[in-house]
Amino acid sequence: MSETILTLEGVSKSYSGKPAVQNLGFTVERGTITGFLGPNGAGKTTSLRMSLGILAPDAGEVRLFGKNPGAAAMDRVGFLPEERGIYKKMKTEDVIVFYARLKGMHKDKALDRAVGMLKDFDLGHTVGMKVKELSKGMAQKVQIISTLIHEPEFIILDEPFSGLDPVNQKSLEAMVKSQADEGRTVLFSTHVMEHAERLCNKIILVTHGNKIFDGSVAEALGEVPRRVIIEAPADQNVGDMLGALGDVVEDDQAEDGNRCWHVDMKTSVDAQDVLKACVDGGVTLARFEPVKAHLHDAFVHMVEASPHKGQETV
Amino acid sequence: MRAIYLIARREFLSYVATWGFWLSLASMPLFMGLGIGIPILIESSQPTRYYVLVDETGGSLEQAIFEGAEASRIAEQERAVQAITELVGDSPQIEAAIASQTLENDGGRYVRISPDETGLATLRPFLTGDALVDTPEGEQPLFAAVYLRGNAVDGIEIEYWSTNLTDAGLRTQFRRSLRDYMQQSRLRDAGISAELIETVNALSPTVRELNPLRTEEAAEVTVAERLPLIVGAGFAFGLWMVIFSVVNMLLTAMIEEKGNKILDMMLASCRHHEILIGKLLGVAMVSATLLLTWGSLAIGSGITIQQFASATDMPIADILAAVLDPGLILPAVGYFIIGYMMYGAIFLAIGSLCETLQDAQSLMSPILLVMMAPLFIIMTAFDSPDSPVVAIASWIPVWTPFIMLARLPLDPPLFDLVGTTAVMLTTALIVTWTAGRLFRMGALNHANQDTIKGWFSFGKKKPVSEA
Repeated sequence: MSETILTLEGVSKSYSGKPAVQNLGFTVERGTITGFLGPNGAGKTTSLRMSLGILAPDAGEVRLFGKNPGAAAMDRVGFLPEERGIYKKMKTEDVIVFYARLKGMHKDKALDRAVGMLKDFDLGHTVGMKVKELSKGMAQKVQIISTLIHEPEFIILDEPFSGLDPVNQKSLEAMVKSQADEGRTVLFSTHVMEHAERLCNKIILVTHGNKIFDGSVAEALGEVPRRVIIEAPADQNVGDMLGALGDVVEDDQAEDGNRCWHVDMKTSVDAQDVLKACVDGGVTLARFEPVKAHLHDAFVHMVEASPHKGQETV
Repeated sequence: MRAIYLIARREFLSYVATWGFWLSLASMPLFMGLGIGIPILIESSQPTRYYVLVDETGGSLEQAIFEGAEASRIAEQERAVQAITELVGDSPQIEAAIASQTLENDGGRYVRISPDETGLATLRPFLTGDALVDTPEGEQPLFAAVYLRGNAVDGIEIEYWSTNLTDAGLRTQFRRSLRDYMQQSRLRDAGISAELIETVNALSPTVRELNPLRTEEAAEVTVAERLPLIVGAGFAFGLWMVIFSVVNMLLTAMIEEKGNKILDMMLASCRHHEILIGKLLGVAMVSATLLLTWGSLAIGSGITIQQFASATDMPIADILAAVLDPGLILPAVGYFIIGYMMYGAIFLAIGSLCETLQDAQSLMSPILLVMMAPLFIIMTAFDSPDSPVVAIASWIPVWTPFIMLARLPLDPPLFDLVGTTAVMLTTALIVTWTAGRLFRMGALNHANQDTIKGWFSFGKKKPVSEA
């Protein structure tokens, strides 16, 4: 049985009477990559801050490494906040050493590792340079190194991909994967689903301060209807023919005098059943395209279907 | 403790690495040097003024003027010797140096020249600068042409021609000399002897300042005894300067960190109270460095002056004793710590609520007014440290550190000492606790400057967005 690193049970937090997080509960297991997903203002940052004890919940319980989050636990955690900055007038390695020493590392060891990690992140040439001389992407890498320098067991990244260009986003994805491969536990928040879909063993979806999903990516994709797109000659009414297999909606994007339908299949139906029905019905198919669902679709679907939609949070 | 030490260390090193710190360090001796040097420089850079004096009465008024000038110079020398004696004790060398200055060798700002032609028509082009006179410093315009007419009985007229409207030294010197001459002539005409007039002019009471708390033999109050009062007020002023300077450093650094989003990164590694205390300690170390350096320089200068002036009985020891008096130094250290803690915590909290200096300005204005007030009261305390206004003001806890320092040399009542300290300590704890809460709210973006403004606008609140 895997060890639980973080547990939130019935946690709530309000600001000036307005709820930010309501009755939230989830766990993070050792060695997993967990995505904490939700639209802007969903309460992700507040939840992560409560996870670390930076904020105290109004109700509920938070347990980090089996205890209330305290100063001792902070040394075992690497936290990259959403709003992040570093001392611009300090040298890159000095900034990293400063944060490493705050986490309890010895100065010499921290310096050795800082220089090594800068090289690993293709920033070896920045040793001795001041942070203000770095590009934004470089500075973000230095921040990430500062988060990881003390080799934390548990890495929490709040919107780590924001502000990074596609190349650096890819590098960060690789870094997250490598940290997990080394046995570390990663929890990261994002509202960009592609990263979560590629990286996560588990996702937690929150909206308006409430959890609306907690499970694997495959389970999340199972929540969204599977779709087939069909184009056929205008005189063939595919809609009536396939109505028994799912929801059929006509789209006006067809070309060359054809008509286009989107078929959202019932749970018991798959694309083969739809194809067979078309063949049996003598439909002249100009297009038959099973659409692979993405986490983004699941996310939108679940948020739209959420009973908390329209609730006001801060 | 580890986080507090590391944050304090980083703060200290970051300030020490700035030009501003070194400028601050140099500012005190620099300002002292400028304060002494600039008046000397101004005095020494005054040009020599060349004038023509025409006594149309035959020479009696001219002689009266030069006798009057000589008498004024001697009187000035006596006043200077007396002032020096009061300040640094008997000093034969300084007295001799002052006495050696004569009318001829004192550098004479006004030098008389005697051209052959002294009529106004002849001199006018020289006065207006159209023509120049030959002088040892080269050709120069004529500063003034003075014509003396009349007599002491019927009245004397000084006709003073000059294009310079601001330098009134020569005119004043002539007017005073001739006024004395007229008054003494009238007294002599009334039958009063010159000796009696001189005797009357020399009359002046002798003042002995005595302390009734002592025996008659030891009752005389010396200048050295007044030093603690001056030093106390000086300490109070210095404390205000230092606290005001360093809390401003705290504020600007805090705003910079808030604007650069550094606080969030810090909160990922340590708690908000560790950041607050670490920053306060770091800047306190900067202040301590400044104070220790300035103090060492002052003591070193004092000892050096004593070495150079070893023949004098200058009371350097008294001055140093007053400055280093534990009865003043220890409270000064305590007041610095508490005053710095109060104002530092407030300024840090304000900084954590603001992302720009403009944001901070509206919150700063009332606090600056509160901070400025003790400065004026300290000035009052220089003249009358026992004033009721000073005594009452010392009970206002945010002013206590400064004003009580100025009052300490007067041995204020024990009730005042204990009472003001208790009120100040209680207030310091409340202020620091409140500032800590505000700092936490500001650091987590749960409050901003509008939140504070909202507290003072009858309960109107502006919501702060939160992710």
